[in-house]
Amino acid sequence: MVNYIFRRIVIAFFMLIGIGIVSFIVIQLPPGDYASTYKGYLLARGATEQDATRAEELIRQQYGLDKPIVEQFIGWVKGIVTEGKFGYSFAYGKDVGVLIAERIPMTLIIAILAHAISTVVGVGLGIYVAPRKYGIADNVWAIISFVLTSVPRFSLAIIILYILVIDLKQPSVSSFFSPQFVFAGWSFAKVVDMFQHIWPVLLIAGLGGVARNMRVMRGNLLDVLGSQYVQTARSKGLKEETVILKHAVPNALHTIVAYQGTVLPYMLAGELEVAIVLGLPTLGPLFYEALVNGDIYISGSLLLIYGVLILVGNLLADIFLSVLDPRIRYS
Amino acid sequence: MSAEKSEIIASGSSLQQEMDIPLGVAQPDIAVLREVTPQFENESYSQLVWRRFRRSKVSIVGGFMVLTLVFLAIFADFFSPTTLYGVDLKASFIPPQQVHFFTDANGQFHIGPYVYNMVYTLNPTTFQVMWVEDTKKAYDIHFFVLGSEYKVLGIIPMNLHFFGVAEGGAVHILGTDKFGRDLWGKASEAGRISLTMSLFGTIISILIGSVLGVASGYYGGWIDNVLQRFTEFVTAFPSLPLFMALAALIPKTADSFTVFVLMACIFAILSWTTLAREVRGKVLSLRESDFIMAAKEMGASDSRIIFRHLYPNVLSHIIVILTLTVPAIILTESFLSFLGIGITEPLISWGLMMRNTQDIQTLGQNSWILAPIAFMVIAVLGFNFLGDGLRDAADPYAVK
Repeated sequence: MVNYIFRRIVIAFFMLIGIGIVSFIVIQLPPGDYASTYKGYLLARGATEQDATRAEELIRQQYGLDKPIVEQFIGWVKGIVTEGKFGYSFAYGKDVGVLIAERIPMTLIIAILAHAISTVVGVGLGIYVAPRKYGIADNVWAIISFVLTSVPRFSLAIIILYILVIDLKQPSVSSFFSPQFVFAGWSFAKVVDMFQHIWPVLLIAGLGGVARNMRVMRGNLLDVLGSQYVQTARSKGLKEETVILKHAVPNALHTIVAYQGTVLPYMLAGELEVAIVLGLPTLGPLFYEALVNGDIYISGSLLLIYGVLILVGNLLADIFLSVLDPRIRYS
Repeated sequence: MSAEKSEIIASGSSLQQEMDIPLGVAQPDIAVLREVTPQFENESYSQLVWRRFRRSKVSIVGGFMVLTLVFLAIFADFFSPTTLYGVDLKASFIPPQQVHFFTDANGQFHIGPYVYNMVYTLNPTTFQVMWVEDTKKAYDIHFFVLGSEYKVLGIIPMNLHFFGVAEGGAVHILGTDKFGRDLWGKASEAGRISLTMSLFGTIISILIGSVLGVASGYYGGWIDNVLQRFTEFVTAFPSLPLFMALAALIPKTADSFTVFVLMACIFAILSWTTLAREVRGKVLSLRESDFIMAAKEMGASDSRIIFRHLYPNVLSHIIVILTLTVPAIILTESFLSFLGIGITEPLISWGLMMRNTQDIQTLGQNSWILAPIAFMVIAVLGFNFLGDGLRDAADPYAVK
């Protein structure tokens, strides 16, 4: 098993390099190099030609933009690994690493919360509907899950935003806390306040996850319920509840664990969409603004960060599954 | 042989004709005859699929939803009561007009539905701008009326519209947007880009996915290994952020057609992985089957085996994936266009129509501009339903 985990980590490492290369390509793709983009930005801001040219040259030297591409890439990676420097954002006047460090905790909290809620609710619903196959409850939930995954998430966010702002007249929608809690220390009231602000994201990102988890759990559980040992358990005279919850469910859960790796990207994408619409200060709006402004180091670095998050999620799911289910083949 | 067969079929059909005539005594005999007569003609694959597909009510509904949107998109000019291309800033943000029936404000009776024109007034107390119904004159909604000129499919000139009102009136059943354009007509038209782009992207992704999947499964060995690792890598990539990053790279000055093609390609490069996997699995199991072995023994070339024997057998999976990839692209495209990094004017898509809703103030006063959401939901839901039904139907030989 250790061998298997080790191999997974090695594969993940190579994937990481691949993701790094693609992110770097995204940074390099816009016409002109970063220094000339920066010069254009300064000129647009009313800087003199002289100042702008000097800044351009400074940046070019600092980031070694005149060196060959491969060397630049190695320099970029080295900066990230050794100093946590992702590159300079001209719109914020800071290193991208600082911006990411500011915003990543809340992004992760939201994504993981949404993930956890959607898993628990989705699996629960799956267990509820599977024994009622083709019954009213099953059909109703199937249709609900279809509809939930069919509504564009950003438009759901708009509708919720509309209700919050226009109908309920709720202030401070685009932040995590109400003004009185912003500088307060962590307390129960602050956590409650936070939930009052992030529930639209949790709801919208989570809903699709609920639907997916439910479908997967229902399918698995139905497969397991058809197997012979379940029949044996029933013929022993066990209550149907016991058969399902104690005998069938544990064996249907493995696939859910393996599936978690693919749900995480979905959660992050949901968080991205909703946070952009609501303007919550997470990675999503930062990424979007950077794309619009051409602040390429932010967009490239965030692409890398998203890739790493998903990679780590997949790796954890794999490792957890191998610990949980010894039957898994390590070849 | 064929003559014999056709004769039998002919006699079968004559039996059927006789069945229709109520003969009383003869009927039981025919029924027995029909039972003992073996069916000579096997149902073809497509017949089997259709039979299964028809059984699933949900997929019929889905197919109907998709067809409706396609129809609306193709004949958007016909379904829109006004021209799609005019801009009328005086008619900006008119709320959806209420359709009335029977007796109007002047006590006149109407057989069909009618509307009142909307007039622009100031609220006497708050001085807010508002549109109210002008009940002085009612306009009957007529069907199949002559109106503004347009060209069907860009070729055939026509001026027939599905519905409309007499000269001097206007009908906007979903209201108008910022530029005074009819939302119903525009949303119908927007389906053209939203649907064709997703279909185009899907077709490209299917070309990539099926070629890589078949190659991977058929050749095996190191080709399979490399392709599998590559597929895994692409799957692991965060798709939405990458779509956004690539779409934002399309220069603002590019012409509409280039933007359209580039966007479709961007969606295609990350969407092919599911298909490649499914096709590979299917090909792996088919590779060892007797009929492929037989073809190989007979000296068929690789390309013949792949295109004549393998492709037809994985086609059903490809069609299923097609119906499931299209809605995924519709959702992503609408989000990107909504953000302003996707489709841009003069092209129009559902997401782009939603762009005005980003301004909460505009949205607060004109909530009807959310109407394109309904079109998107119908499209995505329709394709999902369709795909779900097709998945069961595509493999009619499977024993349930």
